[in-house]
Amino acid sequence: MSAAIIFGLLIVLMLTGMPISISLGLTVLSFLFFMTTVPIESVALKLFTGIEKFEIMAIPFFILAGNFLTHGGVARRMIEFARTMIGHWAGGLGIAATMAAALFSAVSGSSPATVVAIGSIMLPAMLSVGYPKRFAAGVIVTGGALGNLIPPSIIMVIYAVSTSGAVYFGPAGERVSSASVGQLFMAGMVPGIILAVMLSTTTWYRAWKNNYPKVPKATWGEAWRAFMDSIWGISLIVVVLGGIYLGWFTPTEAAAMSAVYAFLIEMFIYKDLRFKDVPKVLLASANMSAMILYIVTNAVLFSFLMTSEQIPQAMSNWITDSGINWITFLLVVNVLLLLAGNVMEPSSIVLIMAPILYPIAVKLGIHPVHFGIIVVVNMEIGMCHPPVGLNLYVASGIAKMGITELSIAVLPWLITLLVFLGFVTYVPELSLWLPRTLGML
Amino acid sequence: MFLRILDRLEEWLITFLIAAATIIIFIAVAHRYLVGIPLFYPLLFPINLAWAQELCIIMFVWMAKFGAAYGVRTGIHVGVDVLVNQLSPEKRKITVMFSLFCGALFTFVVGSMGAKFVWGLFHTDQVTPDMEMPSWIIYLCVPLGSYLMCFRFLQVARNFWRTGHLPHHDETQVEGLEVEAPGAGAAGITR
Repeated sequence: MSAAIIFGLLIVLMLTGMPISISLGLTVLSFLFFMTTVPIESVALKLFTGIEKFEIMAIPFFILAGNFLTHGGVARRMIEFARTMIGHWAGGLGIAATMAAALFSAVSGSSPATVVAIGSIMLPAMLSVGYPKRFAAGVIVTGGALGNLIPPSIIMVIYAVSTSGAVYFGPAGERVSSASVGQLFMAGMVPGIILAVMLSTTTWYRAWKNNYPKVPKATWGEAWRAFMDSIWGISLIVVVLGGIYLGWFTPTEAAAMSAVYAFLIEMFIYKDLRFKDVPKVLLASANMSAMILYIVTNAVLFSFLMTSEQIPQAMSNWITDSGINWITFLLVVNVLLLLAGNVMEPSSIVLIMAPILYPIAVKLGIHPVHFGIIVVVNMEIGMCHPPVGLNLYVASGIAKMGITELSIAVLPWLITLLVFLGFVTYVPELSLWLPRTLGML
Repeated sequence: MFLRILDRLEEWLITFLIAAATIIIFIAVAHRYLVGIPLFYPLLFPINLAWAQELCIIMFVWMAKFGAAYGVRTGIHVGVDVLVNQLSPEKRKITVMFSLFCGALFTFVVGSMGAKFVWGLFHTDQVTPDMEMPSWIIYLCVPLGSYLMCFRFLQVARNFWRTGHLPHHDETQVEGLEVEAPGAGAAGITR
């Protein structure tokens, strides 16, 4: 009953278009005030303690690193590198766009920004060699989706933060420890590479079947120069992952390192960043981080209410009693997250849904890391599926195509994404193999 | 005039906080590794940086509170506006005003609770674990930030009532790239 009231209130408030953070907080306050005897003052402390964890601080640092990199010519250099490697294949420019998007979105951490950065350079290039507009636009929209899966990924940090802290029990009653940021980062690598290959294969197949024009092969000298030019940007992924894996730094420290690193290469090696722009980049990053941290604060309040009303426990008991197995449950989760992806941005979805779904998943014996990867993949698909995926809107601005036409254009890659989601959902080893082999699980 | 100063102060505060926090963590990590090198050991060992993590957290919490207020001004707090945009202009205006006032109400309540909490702490001698700063100073960001945010919501509401204009953050804007009208169609769902 109280669950129905809470969610009803939340949905009504959200539909008025008010910020998601405010609707979460207001739901909690009004429920506590009108429906319970819990003193509202108990909330006051949560407002501060909600974000005073060092793990959460990785979010502003990664945002800062991404903003430094987007600011400069890293995208252009990555495109050049990808083009010299595989530009001469069938649909080579398209594959190069996907590859460059994978590299760039990994370091920038933002899917729409990737679509703009890669799309604004690659789209005209693809049209000029004679690829059809639909084909080119489809490649661009889905390329940006790789960013959340290939670490460093802000969504993974948010998932780790929102599921940690509480104690949940597995199917046999054993205590299950939640997924750490480092484990999730490692778990994302293999699925990320597989997805990049699958998207490229789709691109290649369509280009090969329709016999799209090819571009001349680049010489090895050109490829080497392009590689050396882009290596500073690419090595950011190595710094973060390697640093965490080797135990040099915690994920948060790695994030701070990558922010300083990004600043140094943009400032002194690529020289794309002028000193007078630095405060602007800092302010934009602070603005974006504060928004996410504000949602985190209110989501912490919300999950405090959920816990005090025992809603996740009740739901997981209900699910286990009704005999739903993990296969059905994950199907429902996928549908739910894809639908939510239509109306909300990824960090809010994860912050609201993960604390509710996670205890059920654990109870059904799904590995926390595997579940995290499923959530992340869903968030990516949400960005590019019609009717309102954000990447679609961004790309429609660049390609000057209507949403309907673009939705059709995206279809082959969207189907690829859904097939991939199926794999990731029902083959846990895809996500768990690498961290387990490295001894991180 | 006063408003202009407030705006600049807010911007400078959060810019400074994010930059300082990054530098502090960078120095702390660099220190940890450099102290292992025999050459630097005598020089660096006396420096104790155990407080770095705590200071970084406090700076980020302050940045989050004031940044959230700044975010109201720049319109970065996104909501679900698929439905609202389908409404007729008059109904939309009322709904948007309602949501803005809810924002103001919420931040006012939170600010007041925070103020009460800080007032309570003020009369204790509770300090932070590493830096031993009085706790009430640290928690002061909750009332200050929330009241500022409340003020920003009212400001946006007043502006919207008069001009029908809402601040809109374009998340497709990528600095340093020359793109003609990036994400022209994105306005529909990003607000």
